[in-house]
Parts: sequence; structure tokens; C-alpha cells
Amino acid sequence: MAGKGTTRGADGPAPDVGRWGLHVQVRVPLDAIDLDVDWRPESDHVAILGPSGSGKSTLLRVLAGLEPRAEGRVSLGDEVWLDSDAGIDMPAWERRVGWVPQEALLFPHLSLRENLAYAGADPTQVEKMAESLFLSDLIDRRPRFLSGGERQRVALGRALLAGPRVLLLDEPFSALDRPLRSEIAAMVRAFARDSGTPIVLVSHDEHDAELLADERWVLVAGKLTADGASA
Amino acid sequence: MGQPPSAEGTPKASPAVPTAQAELWPGRAPEQTPEALVVFAASSLQDVLPLVARAWQAEAGVSVRFSFDATSRLAPQILRGAPADVFISADDVWMRWLEERGGVDGTSIRPVTANQLVFVVPRGASNPPEDPGSIARSDLARIALAGENVPAGRYARAALESAGAWGTLEPLVIRGGTVRATLEWVARGEADGGIVYRTDALAEDRVSIAFAFEGGDYPTPTYSGAVTTRTERREAADAFLGFMSGPEAAALFSASGFGPDGDGATGAQVPPPALDAASGLDPWSAVRLSLIVAFAAVLLGLVPAVALGWVLARRDFPGKSFVSMIVMAPLVVPPVVTGFLLLSVLGRESALGGLLASLGLAIPFTLLGATLAALVVGFPLYVMAIRAVFDTVDQRFEEVSWTLGVPKAPTFRRISLPLALPGIAAGAVLAFARALGEFGATVVLAGNMEGETRTIALAVYSLLESPSGQGATWTLVIASVMLSLLALLGFERLSRWQRRRMEDHHGR
Repeated sequence: MAGKGTTRGADGPAPDVGRWGLHVQVRVPLDAIDLDVDWRPESDHVAILGPSGSGKSTLLRVLAGLEPRAEGRVSLGDEVWLDSDAGIDMPAWERRVGWVPQEALLFPHLSLRENLAYAGADPTQVEKMAESLFLSDLIDRRPRFLSGGERQRVALGRALLAGPRVLLLDEPFSALDRPLRSEIAAMVRAFARDSGTPIVLVSHDEHDAELLADERWVLVAGKLTADGASA
Repeated sequence: MGQPPSAEGTPKASPAVPTAQAELWPGRAPEQTPEALVVFAASSLQDVLPLVARAWQAEAGVSVRFSFDATSRLAPQILRGAPADVFISADDVWMRWLEERGGVDGTSIRPVTANQLVFVVPRGASNPPEDPGSIARSDLARIALAGENVPAGRYARAALESAGAWGTLEPLVIRGGTVRATLEWVARGEADGGIVYRTDALAEDRVSIAFAFEGGDYPTPTYSGAVTTRTERREAADAFLGFMSGPEAAALFSASGFGPDGDGATGAQVPPPALDAASGLDPWSAVRLSLIVAFAAVLLGLVPAVALGWVLARRDFPGKSFVSMIVMAPLVVPPVVTGFLLLSVLGRESALGGLLASLGLAIPFTLLGATLAALVVGFPLYVMAIRAVFDTVDQRFEEVSWTLGVPKAPTFRRISLPLALPGIAAGAVLAFARALGEFGATVVLAGNMEGETRTIALAVYSLLESPSGQGATWTLVIASVMLSLLALLGFERLSRWQRRRMEDHHGR
């Protein structure tokens, strides 16, 4: 399935599941608020905007299978990832989501090349990815020698090379300057288009949403609503 | 330790009936230095017996290994199955005690040599008492005697009772553990006088002998030897005992100041033999043994310590605090108590110990036992250090790995373990340092046998009872301090490496 420039509404009222079949119905008790969503995005590339502390990162962790407090149901197409009532909770390594956390979290004991190849990509793929992320010169360094922006790019490349079924991007461009942001965003978009990989992006920055998403949602105090400004 | 032995006459034990346990005791497996005879002997013989053994070896071609300790500690050890072939007691009471309980063959008991009790005062003390009768009248404030159950302590009390001075002096008495500790008090002037063996007094030049308890009114400390019931080397044991009663041994004993009436050993004109070389206590053997024990303990504990450290850092489960408490307990429980508990669980009387022994894994009084004692006592530090490391390793690294399709076990191997490695090594070094210093649990579980369980700490302890151990003691003290400091330095460096590793992902 490819997500080429579809706009919402072309298929009429939403069918039982969204276009790529993600359906999230969960509650997560957090410290201050409860995250409580019933969500079916329609576009392949979705942005969730919201102030910090609204639960955006938690929502991504629920999708990635990293949030044991989540109660409810998450399904992708006819595959059930989480069903608390049925006792189903597919582990993170079987969901194969490309989670790019805000802090990059590169493995500090591995070189950049080893980080990129972590999920098992072959060396030529790794070289190519490094090149398209402008990282070729740094490929044998350890993460501690990289700037924040370089780290984010490595984290992105590491996730892409794992062949994810969904990309989950948590403020992925926050450490990049504007021109580089557009370039990397275009590269991610091209990758997503070519491989048919849906994207869920969370950010507090509308600009990120403009670069990557066709559909916008707003998360405030744990509640998710469609944003009128959707593309 | 057992109840005070009684001196009452006892039925003679039938000769050499090995018990079932003795057969299970695999310390006697033939591959274990089959040529050496193991002799457990009173610590006051520490300097002279190796000379006798050397003379015997020249003649009989059999070498001897010693375990020297207070008679009162050795006898119960033999009863618990320590692999001794010959026991040499400093008095008859403990020998009979052991015979009654089937530890030694009663028919083999024979006198070996004798000593004499002397009253010592600090060198240069003014106005020392001149004979037993004058002690009670002199103005001594404190008198040092060896412990109640130690033969020298009992002999001393008997001597004072014979002199009619016990009632007057009893309030002044302070009790040292061993003869050597008693002597040390007098030498340092902590006590104004004390009663010790002549041989010990002769070897200590900070004291002078005021008088000897001579004559038929006073007890003559007599050493007796016997063959244990569990020996498999009956012939060699008998031969060694026979040699000790012979003229050649008598000359050696006499040259060191032993013998019924001190002939050949009056005053200080008998130079003590070159004892340090001959005392049979090789300091480097103790250092080597300590290193072996500490390394083995650390290796043996590695997997359990990493597993427990990880579980305690990363998991919540019912009973977690209980598990944590049990693991940490050896840190606060006295090591001697830990050793006693281990002995109760793993000793030959216990079901588990019996099972292990039948599998050829003997714990008490073996190198394995020393290793186990060192491990148990060092384990809390080991686990605590590793737990702290896993606490500092950001769990989200593991989460990232999972989302990249790598399940938990390979993630642990590829991410958690390498990230924690310097810290794990630091924990191992800390446990190693603790194992080097282990004493209490080891002495209870593994005894104090040269070349087998006598590590640095135990060797130093033994040397304190030896009048000639100064040189070897300092070698060991220096080695011990150096090793400990080196280990702590290693710990410091590894910890710093770990910290740096964890700072890596926080940026420049």
C-alpha cells in the first residue's frame, strides 16, 4: 500500500478502520492526567501536536509497546497489538515500529556504523543511509563525538534501516536547523513513500507537521481531537 | 565449640573403626597429595615440629603438612571430619575428649614431649616474685593467663591452686586466648606477670622468666600424640608418632627448650633455631592461596551476582525486599556466624553436605570451602555494586533495541551487559578485595590448614601464636595491604570508566 497524496474525505465517511488500519483505544494513567484516546488516523502521515506534558510521547510509547500501564486496545489492520481484556500485549520486538525518541538514545558503546547496522542491515545499505543523512564522514565515530543534530539523524537512520512497519517520530527535528530540517524531512518522506511506511509524528512545532504530515491532530491534557487545519 | 572436656577416665575406644562419614570424606581421595601426612598440632609446637618433620622426611621419605592451632580448636575440628592423620594435643584432657568421641584411636595415644610452666614478668620489672609461694604476697595488679579451655590456661590455674595462691589471685587474672596472646600482654606491660610455657618465654626477649613451676607439686604440661580413627595412612602415622618419641626427635625438642626438666635449655644461652625458614609457614604459599581463593570466588559468583544485580535493579516482584535482605545479610552478620551457618548447611552431618561429599565435592576444611566462605562474605558487595550499575544504565537503550526487533535476551547481551561491563568489573574487584581479607567464615568452615585453606589472614593469625613469626608476619602484612590497595585502585578506575560511559549520551 502506498500513500500517495491522498486527501481525507476522498473515500467518503471513514470505514470501520482508518486507511492503514491503525486503531488506538487506550487509557494510560499518568501522574497529573490520564491519557485517554480513541483514535483512527486516516492519512498515512499523521502529526500529533500539543504542548509538552500532554501525553504525546506516552502515546508513541503505547504504539511501540513500551508502556505497560496502557489499558485498552491497539490494532493495525487485523493484527491486534494490545488487547488488555484478552490479555494480548505484543512485545515491542514483534511490532517492528521505527521509534525515534527525542533524545536519540544512540548506543554509546557502538560506533555510528554499528548503531546504524544494529538491526541487521547489510554494510552497503548502512553506507547509503549514512550518505543520505550526510553522516559519511563520521561513520566510525562514537556517539559522544556527535552534535545533537547528528545524533538525531543517526537515530532516524537506525530506525529506517530496521525496515519498520510504522515510523514513530518524537520531535525528530528539534536539534536540526531549518534548512537541514527540510532536507531530512524530504528524505524521510521519500523513504516513507517508496516503502509505503506510515508515519506518526509528535511535536510541539507546527513546522514539523507541515514538512511531514497530511493530517493533524491535537493532544491536550490527554485528549486527542482532529485539528481543523489538516492538510 | 564443644563443652569443656572432662578429665574422667573413659573406656578405651576400640582401635580404628572408621565411620561411614569418614569414608565419605573425600579430602582423602588418593589424588590429593598422597604423599603428605596431615598433622594437627598444638600451636606451641609450631616452631619445633617442622624441624622434627623434616628430619623424619629425610629418613622415611614422607612429607608432613601441619595445621597448627590451639588444641581446643583442633580437637573439635577433627571430630567434625577434618582430614587429619595425626593429632598432637597440648594436654591429656582434650586427647581423652577426642578419644571418647571416637576421633582418635585410644591405643595409639602416647606422650610426645613435655614443657614447663614459667612465671614471666616484663623485662626489667622491679622486684619480681621469686617462687610460687611469693606470688600472692607480691604487689602484682594484673596477671595474664591463657583462656580457660586452652591447655596452657588450665595448667596455669592448676599450678596456682597447687601453690595455694588461686583464691588470692583470681580477681587479678585476665584471660588471653592463646599462650602467645598472653605473652604479648606481659611483653607490652599490659599485665605485670603471666604464666606461659617455657619455650614461648625463651623466644620472647621482652619478658624475663621470674621462676619456673618445678617439682612434683606442679603439673607438667605434656604433649601427647595419637592416630586419628579416620586416617587411611595408618602405617605412616604410626611411624611418625614413633619417630617423635625417638632420640633424634628428643634432641630437637630439647634444643628448642622442650622436655620434662628443661635440660639443655636453661636460660637464654640456647639460641632459638633458625625458625622462620623452618617454621613450615611459607608466606608466599599463603599469598598464592589467597589469590586463588579470591579469583575462584569472584569467578564462581560472577553469573549469580550479575543476575541478582540485574533483577534487583530492573524488576519488581513480591518478596523483592526479602531477597535483597538475604543477599545483603553477610555484610552485617558476623563472618564467624556466617561460617557457622555454612558449616551447618554444608557440613558432613547435613543432608546437603553429605550429598555433596558423596559426589566428591567436600566443602568443610577444603580449598572449595575457603572459596565458598570468601564468596558468601564478598557477595553482598558484588551484587550491590552491580545493582548500582544497572540502575545507572538508561533503560531506554534497551527499549530502543526492542523496537529495532531485538528481543530481551539478545538485548541484554548486546546492550545492557556491555554498557554495564566496567561497573560489573568494579564489583568483581570489590568482591575480590573482600575475599582477600576474609577470615571469620573461612576459619570456621575451612579451618586453618597450610597449603589448603590457610590464606593471608589466617596465616597472620597463626603467626601471632608463633614466637618466631615476626619476619613472615611482615611479609604477609605488606603483601596483604598492597593487594588490597591495588584492588581498591582498580575499583576506582573501573568506576570512573563506567561513569564516563554513562555520560556519553548526554552530549558534550
